Amino acid sequence: MSEPAVVFEDVGYAYEEAPREAVSDINLRIDAGEWVGVTGPTNAGKSTLCLLAMGLAPHFFGGKLRGKVTVLGTESRAIKVIERSTDVGLLFQNPFTQVSGARERVDEEVAFGPECHGVAPAEIEARVGEAMDLVGISALAARHPLDLSGGQLQRLALASLLAMRPKVLLLDEPTSQLDPAGTAAIFEVLSGLHQSGITIVMVEHRLETLCELCPRIVAMVTGRILADGAPQDVFNREVVQERVGLPVYTRLALSAPLPAPWPVRLSESAKAFGTPIA
Amino acid sequence: MAGGLSLYQEGASLLHRAHPLTKGVFTLSVIALAFIVPSLYWILALALILLILVTVAGVLRRLIAVALALLLPIAVLLLAVQGFANPANHTVLFAIGPVVYYTEGLYIAAIAALRITCLVVATFLFSFTTRPADITEALMQRGLSPAMGYVVQSALQIIPQTLDMAGRIQDAQRARGLETEGSLPKRARAYLPLMLPLVLSSLVATQERAMALEVRGFGLPVKRVSRYEFVDSAVQRVTRWTLALAVPGAIIARLAGWK
Amino acid sequence: MPDISLEKVLFSYPGGVDVYPQPGLSLALESGVTALVGENGAGKTTLTKLLIGLLRPRSGDINVAGLDVSKTTVAAMAKTVGYTFQNPDDQLFERTVKAEVTFGPRVLKRPPADVDRGVAAAIKACGLAGKEDVHPHDLGLSERKWVAIASALASEPSVVVLDEPTLGQDYPSRQRLRELVMRLGSEGKIVLVVTHDMDFVGEACPKTVVLSHGAVRYAGPTSNAFGDRALLKEAGIEPLHVTGLAQAIGLRQCVNEAEFLATWRR
Repeated sequence: MSEPAVVFEDVGYAYEEAPREAVSDINLRIDAGEWVGVTGPTNAGKSTLCLLAMGLAPHFFGGKLRGKVTVLGTESRAIKVIERSTDVGLLFQNPFTQVSGARERVDEEVAFGPECHGVAPAEIEARVGEAMDLVGISALAARHPLDLSGGQLQRLALASLLAMRPKVLLLDEPTSQLDPAGTAAIFEVLSGLHQSGITIVMVEHRLETLCELCPRIVAMVTGRILADGAPQDVFNREVVQERVGLPVYTRLALSAPLPAPWPVRLSESAKAFGTPIA
Repeated sequence: MAGGLSLYQEGASLLHRAHPLTKGVFTLSVIALAFIVPSLYWILALALILLILVTVAGVLRRLIAVALALLLPIAVLLLAVQGFANPANHTVLFAIGPVVYYTEGLYIAAIAALRITCLVVATFLFSFTTRPADITEALMQRGLSPAMGYVVQSALQIIPQTLDMAGRIQDAQRARGLETEGSLPKRARAYLPLMLPLVLSSLVATQERAMALEVRGFGLPVKRVSRYEFVDSAVQRVTRWTLALAVPGAIIARLAGWK
Repeated sequence: MPDISLEKVLFSYPGGVDVYPQPGLSLALESGVTALVGENGAGKTTLTKLLIGLLRPRSGDINVAGLDVSKTTVAAMAKTVGYTFQNPDDQLFERTVKAEVTFGPRVLKRPPADVDRGVAAAIKACGLAGKEDVHPHDLGLSERKWVAIASALASEPSVVVLDEPTLGQDYPSRQRLRELVMRLGSEGKIVLVVTHDMDFVGEACPKTVVLSHGAVRYAGPTSNAFGDRALLKEAGIEPLHVTGLAQAIGLRQCVNEAEFLATWRR
C-alpha cells in the first residue's frame, strides 16, 4: 500500500515553560487523500496537532517533543519548516496576520511562496493564475492585500499555499473569523481540492459542517484523542456528546427521542424524522 | 483599511520606465547637488530640469498640490524671516511704515527655499514614478539579502496597519468608559490601556507573521530568480555613474572656490 | 422598561455614501434579546457604534435608555451600555483576568461594593471562575473573548451589545453564551447581539432585526423572520439547521429545537 500521509506515533508535546503537555499519547494515521475533521473544546490540543504536523512544533516554539511525527515519509525532527513547506501547507485562523505584508498586489502575494522556493518565473505565472482561479480571486489580482475583507484574505492565504502545490493541507479553524459567504467559499474550494487528491486535516468547531464534509472525525479533549472514526460513530458516543458536543440533528434525535443510532447529517435526519413515531 | 503607504501613480513615461536604480541614484544626487551648488542660477537650473522631468512624467498636477501644501508655508516663512531679520541685511528693497525688507535677506531666502524645493520635488518625483516593490527588487537583484528586502517592503504596510489597530483599541477602551481626552492627568491614565494592547497585539501579530513566512518557505537557500526585468541600458549606466561622480566633483569644485 | 430608539439617522463615513438610505434609519428596541443580522457592510456594526457615540450621525435622534446620545460622551455612555467588540485583543491589557474584568467598573467610578459584586457575578457567568489570577494572554482566543464579555458585564449595564460573540467558540462556550444571553434578557436588560450564527439566533434571540444595504427589512419576532427566502438570500443570511430539517420533512417553519420537537410530535 502507499505510504500514509501523516503518522503520529505515541506523540506528546509540551510548549516551552508549560507545566503540562499540550497533547499526550497521540496515535494517528492519515492516509493520502483523506479529509479528516478535528474538533474538540478549547485547549484540546487541536491547533498543536496542526503545528506538530507542520513542524512549527518543535522547531519554531521549542518545547519538548516525545514520540515521532512523520509526514510524507519524513520525520518532523529531521526537516526544517521551510523545507517542509514544499509539500505541506498550513492555513491559520487569523486572515490578517498570515499575509506576507511585503507585497502590494494580490497576485504578487500569491507568487511570494513559489518565489521563495526558487520556482522558474514562467512556472510561477502559471501557478499564480491557477491558484487564484481555484480559489476564485482572479478578479482581485491587482488589488492591495490591505484592502481586502477577512473572507477575501483567507482565500488569498489559501491561494498562496496552493501555489506551492502542497500534498497535505493543514487548516486551523480556517473559517472561524469569516461570515457565511466567506465560509461557504472556502469549503467549496476545499471540496474541490479533496476531489483532486490532496490530504486535508481541518480543525473546525461547527459540528454540522464537519459531519457533512469530512468522512472521518478526530475528537480531542484535553490533549488526547477521545474518538476517531466516521461522523456517525463518533457523535453517537455518549462521552463525545458530553465532552465535545453534538450536531443539532443528533441532539434533536436524542431529545425526540428517536432510537439509536442517531443521525448526524441532514439527509439521515430527514429520513429518521420523516417516519412518524410509533 | 487603506492600501499601503505608496504614492505611486501609474504611467508609461520615460521616468516610469527607467531602471529603479537610475532613478534612485538620480534622486540622491540631485538632492546632494541642490545643497552643494553655490549660486541662485545653478539652483534655478536644477529646479528647471526637475520641472521638465515632472512634466514628462505626467505628475505636474499632484506635485503642485504638494508644493502648495508643503513648500509654500516654508517659503513664506523663510522669505519673511530672512528678508526682515537677517543680520547681514543692509540694502533696502521696500518699506511698509517702520518695517523694512532687505535685498540680501530676499536673496538668501530664495536660495534656501529653492534648495528645499529641489529636495522635495526630487523625492516626490521618485515616489510618484517608482513602485516601492521595484526598488527593493532591483536592489535584491544586485545582492541585497531577501531578509533586508522583506524588512523594507513590509515597513510600508506596517504603518497603516498599526494606525488601524491603534484606532480600534482606542474605540474599544473608550467604550469601556476610558476618557481619552481632557486634562493631562486623565490622558496620562489612558496611556497604559491604550499602549499595552497595541504592543501586545503587535507582538502576537509579529509572531503569527513569522510563522506564516516559514510556512511559505521564506529563507530557503535557493537562487532567487527574479520575475522582473527592468529595462537597463548603457545610457542609463553612464547616467548613473556621471550623476554619482558629479556629487564629489561639485564638492571639490566648491572647496576650490566655485561661486 | 429601558428602551432604545433611533429616528431617521443619517450617517456616512468620510468620503463615502450614506450607510442608511434616505430618510435614514429608524428603529426601536425594547428589553429582551434582539439579534441584528445581515450581510457584512449592511450597517450592523455602524449601528452599534452609533448607539454608544463612537460614531456621530449627520442628523437624526438616538436615544438609549433615556440618554440622548448626541449629548453624551462615549465614556458616559459606558455606564449604561456594555459593549463587547469582536476582537478581545483590542482591549486586554491587565495582568490578570480579575484585574481586566475590574477595569471597567473601576474606571466608571462605581462604589466598591458594586464593583466587587459585579465582577464576581460576571466572572461566574462567563465560566472564568478559578481563572481569576491567570494572565489573559495565557488563555486561548475563545477564553479571551469571555474575559472581554465579563469585562463589559461587570459594570452591570442595562444595555448589552455583543458583536459576533459566537465566532470561533467551541460547543460548550456557545451553550454558555445562550444561557447568558437568555438570562440577561430575562433580567429586563436590552441585549443586542450582532451575529451571523443563525442557530444561535433561533435558540436565544426571540426578536430579530434584518438589515440589508442599510435598510431595516424586518424587525419582529424571530419565529417569523425566516419565512421569506428571497429576503434571506438578499440579506446574506445562512439558513438554520433546524429550519432546513423542518422543510426537508414538510413541517412548517421552526427556528429552534423546542419548536421543532413540538411541531413534529403533533
